[in-house]
Amino acid sequence: MAELATDEDLVVLTVPADGAYLSVLRTATAGLAARLHFTLDEIEDLRIAVDEACAMLLAGAPAGTELTCRFEVTQGTLTIAVSVPNTGQRLPGTETFAWMVLTALAGTVSSSVSDGYATIWLTKQRDGA
Amino acid sequence: MTRPTAAARRPRPTLATIPRPAPAYAEQAPTAELLHRLGRLPHGDGHWSALRAEIVRRHLSLVRALAWRFRDRGEDLDDLVQVGTLGLLHAIDRFDPGRGAEFTTYATPTIVGELKRHLRDRAGTVRVPRRLQERHAAVSRASVHLYQRLGRSPTVHELAVETGTTDEQVLEALESAQAHTTVPLDTTDPGESHDTADALDGVEYRAALRPLLDRLPPRDKRILVLRFFAHRTQSEIAAELGISQVQVSRLLTRTLTTLRAALAE
Repeated sequence: MAELATDEDLVVLTVPADGAYLSVLRTATAGLAARLHFTLDEIEDLRIAVDEACAMLLAGAPAGTELTCRFEVTQGTLTIAVSVPNTGQRLPGTETFAWMVLTALAGTVSSSVSDGYATIWLTKQRDGA
Repeated sequence: MTRPTAAARRPRPTLATIPRPAPAYAEQAPTAELLHRLGRLPHGDGHWSALRAEIVRRHLSLVRALAWRFRDRGEDLDDLVQVGTLGLLHAIDRFDPGRGAEFTTYATPTIVGELKRHLRDRAGTVRVPRRLQERHAAVSRASVHLYQRLGRSPTVHELAVETGTTDEQVLEALESAQAHTTVPLDTTDPGESHDTADALDGVEYRAALRPLLDRLPPRDKRILVLRFFAHRTQSEIAAELGISQVQVSRLLTRTLTTLRAALAE
């Protein structure tokens, strides 16, 4: 596999805010994580994390809107920002089981609800990177 | 391909494979004669069934030959033979011996039609081609070897080198595995294992979660607890439970989906 051309690559995918499109995002996640030489454990964890994050967001996304997934690929780190238009929903708090799962899978997790968008950030660092 | 006239004169050694022994007279008679007799017997009658089975038996090599033509479509040959046999049965039931056509001439397009329809219907459902299944099996085996050798989970590139494929092919195999991996039946002792109990001890978690966890199958619960409460890696859990890491991933995904739905109630 070719080494990355630059220090930081950006991949943005926009899909309908519908669970049926999650497999596209999972596939992209696995492909990008593999490029960064993540291990199988890390790849599978990330795949599940993206699933969880999207499920949280889709629960409150209005029908007919779009889900945007932004992948930032840097040396040894993959940052994934998933966002949907927000109409006042609240994301699960950091004390919830869902959040605990997300943290265990992705490493660093944060979220924000602002400017009409709900966003969850997942940052996974390659082991030893 | 079997010509009915030749088949009629030659006794076959595969008689044991038919469900019901054909009457002795049927062994000798030409297929055309049998089809005539079949047409006069009441459907479902014992003689009718035996005669029909004999006609099927005489055309199994035709079915196999036709099924063989579709062997590259990712379907098991035995399954294709079964589907083709169904086509053969339709042909036998619809054949009109009075028209004077050769039975094989009539049956061949019916069998091929049944095979094609089956493959077309299959195309709609996701089916993993054998080639991909084999690749996945190889990747799965390699991941276990590498985990033992390296003491950590391997990267996609390491798996590609180990299996003599490309990174993309490994990813493709993993992808297909996510959707189609079958997981062996849960044979875990229903009693809570020590590591599960220990991991849950001293962990503060929402009261709503405990009853949901208790409703999970023992193995699913154990995997979930080991991963999220004991912070073990998927590979470690796989090694401990004697299943593959991809299977762990799939079970985790399934369990989380179940819990998500239950917590949302």
